[in-house]
Amino acid sequence: MIEFGIEFVPRDLYWKTTFYAIQAEKIGFDYLWITDHFNNRNVYVSLAIVSAYTERIKFGPGVTNPYLVHPVVTAQAVATLNEVAPGRVVCGLGVGDRTTLQMVNTEQTKPLATIRESVRIIREIASGRTLEMQGEIFKVSGTKLNFKVANPIPVFIGAQGPKMLALAAEIGDGVLINASHPGDVENAVKFVCEGAERAGKKLEDLSISAYTSFSIASDYEKALKAVVPVVAYIVAGSPEMILEHHGISVDVASKIRDAIVHGQWKEAFSHVDNSMVEAFSICGTPKTCTEKIAKLVKVGVTQVVAGSPIGPNMRKSINMIAAEVFPHFKGMLEEREK
Amino acid sequence: MAMEKIARNIPASLWNEASEKLIDIVLNSPNASKMPSDLAKTILYYWQRDQLATEVGLQRLLEASALLEPEKTISLMEELGLSEIVVMLKESLKE
Repeated sequence: MIEFGIEFVPRDLYWKTTFYAIQAEKIGFDYLWITDHFNNRNVYVSLAIVSAYTERIKFGPGVTNPYLVHPVVTAQAVATLNEVAPGRVVCGLGVGDRTTLQMVNTEQTKPLATIRESVRIIREIASGRTLEMQGEIFKVSGTKLNFKVANPIPVFIGAQGPKMLALAAEIGDGVLINASHPGDVENAVKFVCEGAERAGKKLEDLSISAYTSFSIASDYEKALKAVVPVVAYIVAGSPEMILEHHGISVDVASKIRDAIVHGQWKEAFSHVDNSMVEAFSICGTPKTCTEKIAKLVKVGVTQVVAGSPIGPNMRKSINMIAAEVFPHFKGMLEEREK
Repeated sequence: MAMEKIARNIPASLWNEASEKLIDIVLNSPNASKMPSDLAKTILYYWQRDQLATEVGLQRLLEASALLEPEKTISLMEELGLSEIVVMLKESLKE
C-alpha cells in the first residue's frame, strides 16, 4: 500500500502551517511530519496545534534528534501528544541536521549507539514502563512517566548511511530514508532489508519511506527556484560518500555549509547547480514528479514524503499533488489489492 | 459588525469564489504577522469544518483580508462585481 506523507517546516506562522495541515488531511495525505530545528517554531507546539485541528492524519516530528533533546523528553512529548490524538502519533527520530547542530557547537557523536539507546528509551518510557538503563550514551534510573499511555507509539528512524539504514530497520517501525534519487533509495533499501533480516522481521512489517525534498509546479523554473534553498541545506549536510557518488564537489558542499552557518544565504544558494537538484530533490512539473515517485515505489518504498518546500505556492502545490499525482498511485493501490 | 453586514451581502453564488480568493490574499500576504491569533484560530475552526465558503466563514476571511491587505480586498470585491460591498468596505476601513 502506497502512503503519502507531507513535511512542514515551521518557519511560517503557526496558523499557516496548521491551515496547510488541514488542507493536507482533506486531500488525503496519510502522514504529516514537522521538522525540528531550534531556529524554527517548536515542533511539539506546532504538532499540538495541528492535532487540535485535524482528525485522521498521522503526525510526528520529522525528525527530532537526541543530541539537543534527551530521549526521555521526546518520550514525554509524544506520549502527551498521543493523549490528545490517540493512535495518530508517530515518533520520527534521527541524528539531526548537521548544519544547525554546528551552529550550537553540537556534534553527532557515536550516532549508532545514540540512536539505538534513544529508541529503547523512547519505546520503554512512552509505553508507560519503568526503565533502568546504564548505556554507553544515556544512563537512566527508575525513569517512568507519571501518566498512562493508551497505545504504543511507532518509532520511525531517519537514516542515510548503510549502518544507520540497517539499524533503523532492525529497531524501528519505519525507516525514513533521507534521499530523493531513486538510485540512492534503491541502494538504501538493500541495507534496510539487511537490518530487517537481522531482526527476523518481514519487510512488509516496516514502513519504508523516501523522505524527499519536493517541489511541484506547472512551470519547472518556478519549482526549481523554490527548491534551491532546501537543496543547499541538503548538500551542506550530506556525507562525503553521497556527494562523491553524485559527482558533487566536497569543497563546494563545504562552502555552502560555511555560508549557511554564517547566514550568507545568497552565497550559499549561488553554488546550487542542476546536478545537486537532480540528486537531492523531486522537482518539476506534475508529470516529472509522478515519474520520479513511480521509480521510488518500484524500488520498494511504501511511503513517499513530500518534503520541503512542496512548491513555490504551498496551497497550490498541495492541491496539485492531490489532483495530478495521487490519481496515478490510486491505480497502483487498487492493482496491488487485487 | 461591519464585516458581518458586508458578508451578508455577498450572494451565495459567489461564496466559493470569494472564499478561495480571500484565502489566497490572506495566505500570500507579506503582512501575515498582523493577523490576530484569535481570528486565525476562528478561521482554522471554520476551515476544518468546510465552512469558509459560508456567510460566517466569509465574515472572518473578510476581517482578515481587510486587515492584512485592504486594497487587495477592495479590488477583489470590484472584480466580483460587488460595487455595493466596495462602498461598504471603503466606509468600514475609514473607521
